[in-house]
Amino acid sequence: MARVAILRFPGTWSERDFEHALSLAGPPGGINGAETEILWHTEVDLSGFDACIVPGGFSYGDHVRAGAIARLSPAIRELRRFAAEGGPILGSCNGFQILCEARLLPGALIRNARLEYISDWVRVRVEDEGTPFTRGLRDAVLRMPIGHGEGCFVADTGTVERIEKEGLVLFRYVDERGIVTPEANPNGSVNNIAGLRNAEGNVVGLMPHPERCAERILGGTDGLRMFESLVGAVGDRSPQRIGALT
Amino acid sequence: MRYVATIHVRPKAEVRDPQGEAILGALGSLGLGVVGVRTGREIVVTFDAADESTARTATDTMGRELLANPVIEDFRVELATA
Repeated sequence: MARVAILRFPGTWSERDFEHALSLAGPPGGINGAETEILWHTEVDLSGFDACIVPGGFSYGDHVRAGAIARLSPAIRELRRFAAEGGPILGSCNGFQILCEARLLPGALIRNARLEYISDWVRVRVEDEGTPFTRGLRDAVLRMPIGHGEGCFVADTGTVERIEKEGLVLFRYVDERGIVTPEANPNGSVNNIAGLRNAEGNVVGLMPHPERCAERILGGTDGLRMFESLVGAVGDRSPQRIGALT
Repeated sequence: MRYVATIHVRPKAEVRDPQGEAILGALGSLGLGVVGVRTGREIVVTFDAADESTARTATDTMGRELLANPVIEDFRVELATA
């Protein structure tokens, strides 16, 4: 069974949703494929975990910049170590902002172009399947909710060119046909960028909330596909764990 | 020695400034010929340091590590003794 750590900072609000969503991800037959533990940010030890989630919310009230204060937490030192060892890390919404502030992902997220907080459903196209969270999802169009005031992805021109050239854009806002259009871009992000991966592919961040669309009663199950991808990836990395389950 | 640092943070010229754009629109309605607005913020920090050179190094660290994000912002420091 995949052991997944979920970080909690002061102001984090999506940790229980991730806990629930991950409990739904597993091999066919209704077997639970993931066991989760919520870790308070000053007491984070990721040894023995197969993956780590940085959930959304308003860590430290978004003061200074969204994610800026969380970056100085002891949890980030441990997260860097885990990332360097190839551990899968997923940051959603404020978690994505924290990963960018911690320079685990390039660029930054600033106020939405129209200065509004946006709560809506969007579609994103998966650009790459070489990450633990997007296996088998290349070119899939996922419908997911967003809820953010600072989701406009920006970077200097050189960085944008580099992340496009190296294929680090993992999710792009698209319309229902899967086409990148200005209308499909909810927040003014450069090149409709909704999420990124690092060069190694183990660190992933996105503004949408996969944990809020993991069962039908919530209006969609596309987010579950990312968690099932993670459970499968962990199983391939350490087959004895899944073996113990069956 | 006690110092007061005023740290000015601004988005880099090539990074869009949605707040500045909103202010530009609003000032435009006053008909004063406003053609550009950039916003930023000012943070005033009082702290102790052995001498001016140490104080400057400290403010540089404050700016780089927390008060500004070098990916998208520039900062400038005015230093004075308290």
